[in-house]
Amino acid sequence: MSQSRFVFVVFCFTAVLILAVYLRSANNRIFYELCAHYAEQNRLKQELGSKQLLLESLINPAAISQRAGESNTDD
Amino acid sequence: MMVSFLALGGRCFYLQFFKSKHYIDASLRQQRSYKSRQPQRGVILDCRGRVLAASNKIQIIKAEPRIIDDPKEVSSELAPVIDMGAHVICKLIVDRKDSGHVRIKAGADPCECDLVKRIHRGIAVESDWQRHYPTGRLAANIVGFTDPYNRGLEGIELKYDKQLSGSAAENIFFADVRRRPIRLKQQEGTLNNGVGIILTIDSTIQQFARDELIKQYENYEAESAVAVVADPKTGAILAMVSLPDFDPADIGSTDPNNFRSRAITDWYEPGSILKPIVTAIALEAGVVNKTEKIFCENGNYRGRGFGRIGEYRRGFGDLTVREILIKSSNIGMAKIGQKLGKDRLYEGLKLFGFGYRTGIDVPGEVDGLLRPPDTWDGYSVTRIPFGQEICVTAMQLTRAFCILANGGRLVRPFLVRAIVDNNGKITELKRPPPPVGYIIKPEVAEWVVREALTGVVNEGTGKRAKLEKWQLFGKTGTANIARSDARGYSEHKYVASFAAGAPADEPAIVVLVSVRKPNRALGKGYTGGVVSSPVAAKIIERTLTYLGVRPDKERQLFTRLRNQR
Repeated sequence: MSQSRFVFVVFCFTAVLILAVYLRSANNRIFYELCAHYAEQNRLKQELGSKQLLLESLINPAAISQRAGESNTDD
Repeated sequence: MMVSFLALGGRCFYLQFFKSKHYIDASLRQQRSYKSRQPQRGVILDCRGRVLAASNKIQIIKAEPRIIDDPKEVSSELAPVIDMGAHVICKLIVDRKDSGHVRIKAGADPCECDLVKRIHRGIAVESDWQRHYPTGRLAANIVGFTDPYNRGLEGIELKYDKQLSGSAAENIFFADVRRRPIRLKQQEGTLNNGVGIILTIDSTIQQFARDELIKQYENYEAESAVAVVADPKTGAILAMVSLPDFDPADIGSTDPNNFRSRAITDWYEPGSILKPIVTAIALEAGVVNKTEKIFCENGNYRGRGFGRIGEYRRGFGDLTVREILIKSSNIGMAKIGQKLGKDRLYEGLKLFGFGYRTGIDVPGEVDGLLRPPDTWDGYSVTRIPFGQEICVTAMQLTRAFCILANGGRLVRPFLVRAIVDNNGKITELKRPPPPVGYIIKPEVAEWVVREALTGVVNEGTGKRAKLEKWQLFGKTGTANIARSDARGYSEHKYVASFAAGAPADEPAIVVLVSVRKPNRALGKGYTGGVVSSPVAAKIIERTLTYLGVRPDKERQLFTRLRNQR
């Protein structure tokens, strides 16, 4: 009886240890993934920003007027 | 033995109590590494949300010349990856051998960065903010520009530098022996990105104004030119063009004189364009009335204490106040000035805002020059009414015409509409509270605008500004520039101006155009009526069409139908 209790305690203890290690590594992994996604999100935001700036430089009134002037000259 | 222990104890005591701070600092320096996080500089938008200035993150490939042993080898390895000549890279590294780092390529793409990281010790990739100005020259004199460290140097960038900059944070890491961060220890400060600024400028109207002004500026080989478009009811500046201008992407090769916004930094004697303002002051003071005839001395007016005054071309006899403005008679205005007297003239001009700044949100604004009346002589009271002996900025003139167009109510020009946070929420409305009180009575202002100044456009010196769809009001001005040797005025150098607005019965915009030193030798003309009035008319026509202001006939018909109902 006492041996099986001992085995049970050791089993529980080991299980708790494994769970703790698992939770810790899961925490680290999730944290890493969060950081990676955050960095990716920032990169995409910057990419979007640069695309928006490119678009703005193409469709602003000065650029349109310049292109209209050029196409009139070509005609 | 005892002495040794005592000496050891003493040394320990010394280290613990006298040198502890030094060793703590040294230890922390060794353990920690610091990384500064720079905030994103705020955006500057026009009133329709178009981007005038914004920052974006770019990747920069850098070299550390001091730790590169063989620049040739590194250059030839790096060249195919970043698509640059090896000799160019090598020259950059060798020329800056003693500096901490040298910038090889700004704006590298992620693929290049990945490959570069594998190359060699001494080559690194860093990210940094870069300022972009998508509209280029269009609003450069208003928006200004920043230095490579993202500090505002001109225009709105300088005026609102603190708000646009935000605040940086510093991350402190535990570092290994090669200074690589192991984990974050603490963060000093909070990273706050800069706020956004919304201007009253409309890029489309700015483009109309620049487009028309630049044609005339080049056509007349002028020294400089300004155009201001304002909403007379609110004082919002819709466009402010200053020529010559500059490209914010190429600051290095620009003459620094071109950086300034001439509409607020350059003062000049306005000439005849000041006449409607003085006339309004005189009518308000009751020293003249609308039907009174003033004898204009047939073009030759002399007197003790004020010398001789002539007309621009031919002389005139008896003229009413309206005719004085239409024919732009200097003698008529000098007589109005004499009737008004120096104190009332000075106070009136001060009320219209001459002699002090308008308070617009761009740095570098000047006061202009309106001398106190105790320094005036007989010449002053007869010359100021037709725009000599007084210096004004284009913005002050625009404000004065806005006051006339706004029924005599005070108008305060402004350029920044609102400040918004990073989520686009308005945190501060910058529009000044509507001013209270009248500078002149509404009926006087309305008479000057609807009767006298429309006459200038229909039958006077501003005929070239006449539009088919809208009735304009306006006044021309051709001011001789004072000679640099202080011996009177130049007969060849002028400032040609035209201030106008439309529609005359309900002004939606006021436009001022001033062209400095149009080349008279070209033989095309040099007066405000010839040089500036066509520009103002075209700006008004395009702007009113763009703003959807109905033509006069349509509006009158609409009003009639509404009244019938």
